[in-house]
Amino acid sequence: MAKQADSHEEWLKQQAEDSKRKQEAFMNGIAQKLRRPRVTSAPEHPFRGAPDFWQAFEWPLEERVDRFEANFKAAGGHVERLADMEAAKRFIAEKAEALGAKYVIRQNQPELNGLGLEETLAASGAEVRVWNSEAEENWRARAAESDFGIVIADYAAAYTGSVTVLSSKDKGRSVSLLPTVLFVLIPLERLKTRLGEILIRFDEAGREQLPAGIHFISGPSRSADIENDLTIGVHGPGVVHALLIG
Amino acid sequence: MSTAGNASTVKERAELALNDEFLRKAVKFTTERLRNGKKQASAEHGNWDDWRERGRQIRLHTIAHLDYYLNMFANQARANGVHVHFAETSAEAVKLSLEIAQRKQAKSVVKSKSMVTEELHLNHELESIGVEAIETDLGEYIIQLAGETPSHIIIPAIHKNRYQVADLLSREAGETLAPDTSILAGFVRKKLREKFLEADIGMTGCNFAIAETGSMVLFENEGNARMVTTVPKTQITLMGMERIIPSWADLEVMATLLPRSATGQKLTVYMSGITGPRREVDADGPDEMHIIIVDNGRSLQLGDPEFQELLNCIRCGACLNACPVYRHIGGHAYGGTYSGPIGAVLTPALQKNVAEWDDIANASSLCGACYEACPVKIPLHEMLIYLRRRKQEQGHGNAAESFGMKGFAAVMGSSKRYAGLVKLGKLGQKLVVRDGGIRLKLGPLKGWNTYRVTPSLPKKSFRDQWGTLEQELRHGLKEVAPDVRSRMEAIVQGRDSKGGNGHG
Ligand code: SF4
Repeated sequence: MAKQADSHEEWLKQQAEDSKRKQEAFMNGIAQKLRRPRVTSAPEHPFRGAPDFWQAFEWPLEERVDRFEANFKAAGGHVERLADMEAAKRFIAEKAEALGAKYVIRQNQPELNGLGLEETLAASGAEVRVWNSEAEENWRARAAESDFGIVIADYAAAYTGSVTVLSSKDKGRSVSLLPTVLFVLIPLERLKTRLGEILIRFDEAGREQLPAGIHFISGPSRSADIENDLTIGVHGPGVVHALLIG
Repeated sequence: MSTAGNASTVKERAELALNDEFLRKAVKFTTERLRNGKKQASAEHGNWDDWRERGRQIRLHTIAHLDYYLNMFANQARANGVHVHFAETSAEAVKLSLEIAQRKQAKSVVKSKSMVTEELHLNHELESIGVEAIETDLGEYIIQLAGETPSHIIIPAIHKNRYQVADLLSREAGETLAPDTSILAGFVRKKLREKFLEADIGMTGCNFAIAETGSMVLFENEGNARMVTTVPKTQITLMGMERIIPSWADLEVMATLLPRSATGQKLTVYMSGITGPRREVDADGPDEMHIIIVDNGRSLQLGDPEFQELLNCIRCGACLNACPVYRHIGGHAYGGTYSGPIGAVLTPALQKNVAEWDDIANASSLCGACYEACPVKIPLHEMLIYLRRRKQEQGHGNAAESFGMKGFAAVMGSSKRYAGLVKLGKLGQKLVVRDGGIRLKLGPLKGWNTYRVTPSLPKKSFRDQWGTLEQELRHGLKEVAPDVRSRMEAIVQGRDSKGGNGHG
């Protein structure tokens, strides 16, 4: 086994060298076809990002809430505005009770850690697991069998009705993807107007700071492939509850 | 974690606890509501032409400096820990993919639909070395179960009604499944979940690649592209060399144009930006990530004043749906990976072979509806004319050609032509009309499982429509509209004597 790994490493190294050589040829070929020398310093990019009229556009908070709700619902999602995290917990517990949820998986985020979801949901017979809380567990499989997934959004955009979740050690990509029902808790101050307000942060942060997964979610997973009929939840969550907190 | 601790394989464990009944219960009401509340998001969006123009500018800028941005992307992706490869030809891209699969001793590959992998016929190649390639789009999966090759029919599984799909899936399940879409989807969900968990490699395409951070971006509705990039240990992404945009800020423009043009959604259900493999501390995402950057004829368009803009295409499929003649001919006429007006130009362009283009090129250049629909304003209708001219210059003219040229002249000059073509379009719609709406899933659109609803045109007699149109085509004006002519002439004069990198 170790031998195999070694040779794979070697192969990758060999490939990396080939690739760099090829890259030079590729770029020179492009420059030649464009009939000019290679461009090696940053060209002027006067059209970067959205049109100017859009860049300053912003809705007041209440309008953001209304628009987010309308858009998220139009895409088949559900939206609740709740006073605080306690109310969110009650909401989730009621749903767990009503649907008979058995397994629940949640992100390992401080706002959720203090909430006591474990005890509350245990009362209705659901077991809550905390993402990546044990090193040996196969967390992808645990997320795949979960009825509920619970995450806190990093951002949300009202104009498209989208929530943004970023991955980390404590925030699995699987938690917002594999469970049948997804609860996304959105602290109100994270709700923006435009996608661009969120995207610009990734430019500002720069490559080294980006997480492996940045996901925008705008409703339940959908398909139209059986008899051209809208089918919900073939791969991702079939039900998505966006809970606006505050 | 006592619940599943005893079962040894991932599959056994997944089977232990997976609750496929749960889905059906949970989605019942959502489905009802969505069915009743279909909505076209695109119409609401203001300043559409400003957005199109911005999209065009960003694409023009990036392609004009492609060596700079592609180089930057490759370096940044490498810095993220991605293994970056370059493939000049489809054969090279296939060889690289297979070699990775063999190195990883892969038994199965889960795929989310990608135009580039289709371009390379990668499924077939993988099967030939004994690797199972599993399509995970619902429609593609059904076709694969049926043992049919994905045809270029409008909707991959449109020829299967839900009773047939139920039969197919029942065979797979080993029990009888009721012909109810939510039950069938529940079964597929469970089944493919096992496949995702078992698979050694996940394979995807790439909608956009962000140069400054080395990130790749995927748009989709089902969530299978997310699965493919989250669950398996190794990820292989195949991307066309022109998929680049400079920054995340530029992605806002693409995210505004692409879903609205493709499906009328404000955003696809999922838009994912993936920056390198799993971080050391992460508990999901691939351990090893490869990006294969594919040329396969694309760079031939560079420096060709008539065709360079082809590289601006964001594969939204809007031109297909806009084209009345395409709607008439439907999916039947297309042999290539890319269909519709974009396919009619791109296929021969990629193959460096003008002799080989569909007769649809004759017809679909007529009205410019493809240009009007295109979110990055690619003048496809003009390119079709250039193609035709180059074909004739090389002595590939034929009988259909003369019909086409007349047709072109007639339609460009006639104010009635559009109405005629729209009427003709109605014919093609017969294939796909359901519930008073047309849902098309065409060419590039198939890439991310879209749905589309456009109102169907009122029924009228075939014979009437056809007669009128044919008359117009045969006996209409012989002149090209003056603005189009002058634009064409200006471009042709601007060409240097070599005229680009050739299509023949
Ligand atoms: S050419 Fe067609 S597929 Fe490409 S961007 Fe334009 S409308 Fe979309």
